[in-house]
Amino acid sequence: MSDSDYEHDDEDKDNDDDEPDYLSDPDDEFFDQVEPVLKPPPGLMAKEPRGPMGYLDFKFTCIGPDELMSRMHDIVKQVNAIFELPPCTTRILLSHFNWDKERLLERFYDGNQEKLFKDAHIVNPFRQARVPVGNSTILSVDVICDICLMETSHKQLEGLECHHLFCIDCWRNYMRTRIEDSGNALAIPCPHGKCDILVNENIVYRVMQPFPDVIRRFQYLSAQTFVQQHKLMKWCPSPGCTFAVEANSTRGVPVMCNCGYRFCFSCSSPAHEPVSCKYFQLWVKKCEDDSETAHWIHANTKQCPKCKATIEKSGGCNHMVCRNVNCKADFCWVCLGPWEPHGSSWYNCNRYNNSNAKVARDGQAQHRQALERYLFYYNRYVNHMKSLKFEDKLYAQIEVKMRDMQKLGLAWIETQFLKQAVDSLCHCRNTLMYTYVFAFFLTKNNHSILFEDNQRDLEMATETLSEYLERDINSDSISDTKVKVQDKSTYCERRRQVLLDYVYEGYESDIWEFNMM
Amino acid sequence: MARSSNRRLFTEYRQLFENCPDGIVAGPKTEDNFLEWEALIAGPEGTPFEFGVFVTELKFPADYPMSPPKMRFLSDMFHPNVYPDGRVCISILHAPGEDPTGYESSHERWSPILSVEKILISVMSMLAEPNVESGANIDACKMWRENRDEFNKIAHNLVKKSLCIM
Repeated sequence: MSDSDYEHDDEDKDNDDDEPDYLSDPDDEFFDQVEPVLKPPPGLMAKEPRGPMGYLDFKFTCIGPDELMSRMHDIVKQVNAIFELPPCTTRILLSHFNWDKERLLERFYDGNQEKLFKDAHIVNPFRQARVPVGNSTILSVDVICDICLMETSHKQLEGLECHHLFCIDCWRNYMRTRIEDSGNALAIPCPHGKCDILVNENIVYRVMQPFPDVIRRFQYLSAQTFVQQHKLMKWCPSPGCTFAVEANSTRGVPVMCNCGYRFCFSCSSPAHEPVSCKYFQLWVKKCEDDSETAHWIHANTKQCPKCKATIEKSGGCNHMVCRNVNCKADFCWVCLGPWEPHGSSWYNCNRYNNSNAKVARDGQAQHRQALERYLFYYNRYVNHMKSLKFEDKLYAQIEVKMRDMQKLGLAWIETQFLKQAVDSLCHCRNTLMYTYVFAFFLTKNNHSILFEDNQRDLEMATETLSEYLERDINSDSISDTKVKVQDKSTYCERRRQVLLDYVYEGYESDIWEFNMM
Repeated sequence: MARSSNRRLFTEYRQLFENCPDGIVAGPKTEDNFLEWEALIAGPEGTPFEFGVFVTELKFPADYPMSPPKMRFLSDMFHPNVYPDGRVCISILHAPGEDPTGYESSHERWSPILSVEKILISVMSMLAEPNVESGANIDACKMWRENRDEFNKIAHNLVKKSLCIM
């Protein structure tokens, strides 16, 4: 993998430290800077143009904390080019529509504007009196501020377009309290209790000018709210990470943050391709509920042949009476047939193929089979998960190996192929892990068999790479090692891409049939 | 902040002293701490609490009036909107950010232009008309709804107790 994905990642990181390109021209350039996680490896790139696969159109980019504000201002600017309203008003409107420009435009021109402004808690900017705040006819008279009840000269009064005026000190105290305690800086109402007009950023900057700490907090909260409200933005869920990711659709496709964490853009869980968010959540829930219990149940219990309640045998007697009050079936633990014949002269539990008992055993076998099926997939899923954890150790080993190679005269950059190979290995393991979840929910048909073939190929390739990196790596010369590692990891990546392409193609053309289990 | 809260509380104290609504007496417990007040509330006319005089305590936060005070009955009280330990649960004493019950609009909550006087008037009307939709004392709610005679009897006893004739 000479031309691998990961070198691109490093480049992106470097870019983000500087001024990113898209700031200069947010409209056109924005999505050109794409994290190449889902970019097919070079081998497949040659085959372009590719089919109409929606998931390949998915693009995303990482946004650092400082750039969020400029992203927000860009959107405000774009809308304001049409509305020509004060930017702070537009921002509240956008926030009200969760930063969905199209919906706002639609409402703005189609519906009742008066109601729109009322719902967004702003004063209708077209009907606003043109008298600027603090420039009233009673300039000379001292007025009493309704908050501190002190006499204040009119010049010192501040207020929103609703003309509820308070003295500047009270405004400062009010905003400090609300900004420091509040989780949503864009939803602070006018201090007048009966008024729900929202505080805009202009008054915050004007009044809080002497308090940069409060302004910083306000900006931080604004950015926070912006990302939370914006449908096409997500915070990186990795602990302590301050990056956000913006994408061009809300699909459940994995994205990689600049911090290196891979997560699903739709549900913010760790990356779980190829399985969809819905079935991933179902699986997680099933595992939480079932796995340990299921193993134990499988080994130690049988089911009541009538009501299917799970039964554990606690004494020597084989005459079972179901404790379920609605059932109370009498049956034999050994043959699962009704107990009745066992007590009389026609006892034939010792004889094979008693028909009644056979029906019961068949029913039970079906249920057990479902359990066994689950355990089959679960064990393979867990196995890859455990292997994935062990790869941390491999990273350490590889680190040592890379240092050894550098001592032999290779440049740092020339040894990176090893680390990239382990990265590939981890990606493949992660994907493999979730292919078993995908397969668990999949209904068997021709497509599912093809899928399993792909899964087998990926698994074989992954295991070959894993074995080589872990064991055989020291037996070859450096140049041989490099060729072999690169061959194997490129092949892995390719198998992984083929599998993902197949699955996503299947999603698009709706060939997958799922079973809810 | 502490200075401005003291100044405002001092002004409120003066205004209450000069022009006090019927049935309310309120002021700081001691001259040197304006953040703790005691208030006497008369049971409203025509209610089971009529003729009672109930002692309450108000504790103001340092950023008053930006945040609301906390209010507690020191006299025994049995009322749907008063917790058994005496804490008063009415919407205007809730800061706008938090919504413990989930159905108060921000109009009904605390705002800096409200005052001790407005709180005490609200508490008086609360005594007259409990809000059983969001009860703080479930037993009192139940009794108010289902057994008004019993409730009135308990209230009457509390009135007598508040006047020290029991």
